[in-house]
Amino acid sequence: MLAVETLPSVPRLTGLYARGAASSGRIAAGRALPSLPVIGGGEDSLTLPPVAYRVAEVDTADMASHLRDYQRLLHEPVSDHLPSGYLHVLAFPLATAVMVRADFPLPLLGMVHLANDAALARPVRLGDRLEVRAWAEDLRAHRRGVQVDLVAEVRVQGDDDAVPAWRGVSTYLARGFDPSEVEGADGADGGDGQAPGDVPGDAGGDGTAPSDAWAPPLPTGRWVLPAGTGRAYGALSGDRNPIHMSALSAKAFGFPRAIAHGMYTAARALADVGMARGDAYRWTVRFAKPVLLPGTVDVAVTPAEDAPGGFTYVGWNALRRQKHFEGTVTPL
Amino acid sequence: MATRSTAAATASRKAPKGTTAAPGLRDAVVVGGNRIPFSRAGKRYADASNQEMFTAALEGLVARFGLQGERLGEVVGGAVLKHSRDFNLVRECVLGSSLSPQTPAYDLQQACATGLEAAIAVANKIRLGQVESGVAGGTDTVSDAPIAVSEGLRRALLAASHAKTLQQRLKALARIRPGDLKPLTPATDEPRTGLSMGEHQAVTTARWGITREAQDEVALASHQNLARAWESGFFDDLVTPFRGLTRDDNLRPDTSAEKLAALKPVFGKSLATSGTPAEPTMTAGNSTPLTDGASAVLLASRDWAAEHDLPVLARFVDAETAAVDFVHGHEGLLMAPVHAVPRLLARNGLTLEDFDFFEIHEAFAATVLTTLAAWEDDEYCRTELGLPGALGKVDRSRVNVNGSSLAAGHPFAATGGRILATAAKLVAQRAAETGRPARALVSVCAAGGLGATAILESA
Repeated sequence: MLAVETLPSVPRLTGLYARGAASSGRIAAGRALPSLPVIGGGEDSLTLPPVAYRVAEVDTADMASHLRDYQRLLHEPVSDHLPSGYLHVLAFPLATAVMVRADFPLPLLGMVHLANDAALARPVRLGDRLEVRAWAEDLRAHRRGVQVDLVAEVRVQGDDDAVPAWRGVSTYLARGFDPSEVEGADGADGGDGQAPGDVPGDAGGDGTAPSDAWAPPLPTGRWVLPAGTGRAYGALSGDRNPIHMSALSAKAFGFPRAIAHGMYTAARALADVGMARGDAYRWTVRFAKPVLLPGTVDVAVTPAEDAPGGFTYVGWNALRRQKHFEGTVTPL
Repeated sequence: MATRSTAAATASRKAPKGTTAAPGLRDAVVVGGNRIPFSRAGKRYADASNQEMFTAALEGLVARFGLQGERLGEVVGGAVLKHSRDFNLVRECVLGSSLSPQTPAYDLQQACATGLEAAIAVANKIRLGQVESGVAGGTDTVSDAPIAVSEGLRRALLAASHAKTLQQRLKALARIRPGDLKPLTPATDEPRTGLSMGEHQAVTTARWGITREAQDEVALASHQNLARAWESGFFDDLVTPFRGLTRDDNLRPDTSAEKLAALKPVFGKSLATSGTPAEPTMTAGNSTPLTDGASAVLLASRDWAAEHDLPVLARFVDAETAAVDFVHGHEGLLMAPVHAVPRLLARNGLTLEDFDFFEIHEAFAATVLTTLAAWEDDEYCRTELGLPGALGKVDRSRVNVNGSSLAAGHPFAATGGRILATAAKLVAQRAAETGRPARALVSVCAAGGLGATAILESA
């Protein structure tokens, strides 16, 4: 059972990153010790903070212009409905606050966003007062390290439904943590055969699935993303991770150029589905190769064959035949 | 086979007693057409505006049919790439022409179907008895296209102009970033997909397995047919020279299969890595170039034409527009006419075999080929068009017999007028030769998954 700790407001990401960078250094230093921490049991094991952060009231009434900027940047129709991606932006800093706690076992910097799964059960509108909660759960093995879910929930005040209006699960990978002693650590969980996530200098795949095994479908669209895409989404979301901001700052982290925010690409795909998604929908994404900026992404957003009314989407680099991301949007 | 007149059927319905009886539908006819030669972008018409070009086309039409000082029912037309200052483009052209200044006008826009949609609008008013005569047309310039400022600069300038104090104004202007100063030129990309029209067609081309050779054949025929039509004088009473140009300057009478085969593909290159095997096949030779030009067509009631002692080329029988769901790849962007035509034929009790001529706008050679292939495909016609089976096979020797957009060029809104005038004259000539009625089917695809189609019949 998680202890709920109420914060007065959603913290700002900028401050969190500073703390995250400091704790990342501490954790990195810890990793240099001969005995690697393992998940579960024992004094050296990795455990998640037994706490859920909560902000009792987030008033969306004054977010009109921010919402509009978001909707324009992501090609969403401008309306008073908060798209699922916007709710992620809203709740993300609270999840980040969990990750920068002193007792969070993984370093914030260098964590790779593997996947995201968000369900919008009921429409959330501008003017709604929201309760936001976030916590970490399900620390588990990944064949390249360990992965963890950051869960965020949004409830609308006055809405007594047991199911939150919005629930997002962001799955992150921390590389270099040895999962070998964990039960079931065969790489099946989270290992979809694609080289996962924002892995710099990992163009050749990992051997289990050569990149030429995948052939893109016929495209339904093409995004030409200018160099400033990361800065624009960074300004809106507050996620000003240096890997997104400029070629220079990205190089410092091993990327040849700045990379697009994964959630920007997923949210563009969600917008491409359009009104067919309905008022309540589940939206998933798995990230593969990062999108280098400036860059061109071919996308196919098509009706799902196995889920009536639903859509699947995939984005790729046509010249390199590399998948960037794929996901689903399913009406609930 | 005779055309069943839906007009008569409608007219026979009696209005309830005491209400104003609507007059029955009557015929709308094409009297003639006029255009300026089409010119490749950035060449002869590089500094000609839409207004100048459409005025020239209109004035040529006025001169040809002696309409100086005439009050026409209306002039309808438009431009796809239009400057905001041209909010009344067609009315301004009327005022700059020798038509009576009492001739009303309005602008209309439906991407590449603008010209045909304008003719549908005018013909309908004539058929309803609301006007006796009208001109439909369109104009487009890629060379003199409006250039817009970036969204960032635009919003900053607007905020500054709304500001009440100098301080507010400076604050608004301080938001401008160097990148905002880059001008935006109009693109032919679909706003919703980001794919250019060529890339969209490349996907459709791949889906239908249209070969490079077949496309080059269509392109070659277009040039040869247009060249022959020019040589034979077909366009003598359909075109007025402009800016020293007397013929469409995209026309390559001397092009050959070898020359076309030597061109490198320009669209669909990214499909080479696709799971659907798709070697790029679309080149600058079998795709329509960006073009400047304008066209106008004179339509009228039979009575008006007779009173003015004017010839009648063809009856504007009926029209049908369609739109397709292309955004999520369900249907090809330029396939809407494929859907419109079966509905148009059914309403008029006609089949593909009842037509002497097919004017299918050559946005790309592959567009013509996918259109024809779709109508021949039993499975597609059943599942997609809801027909009992394949719509039918079009006799290729009846398609674009005097060339089309691949050779003439395609100034977006001007293409409908070019095609209508050509089709009207073709059916008139054929009827005069054979003594039997002749019929033409017109099909124009457009951006946004739109399409407009129409039937012309010798009058």
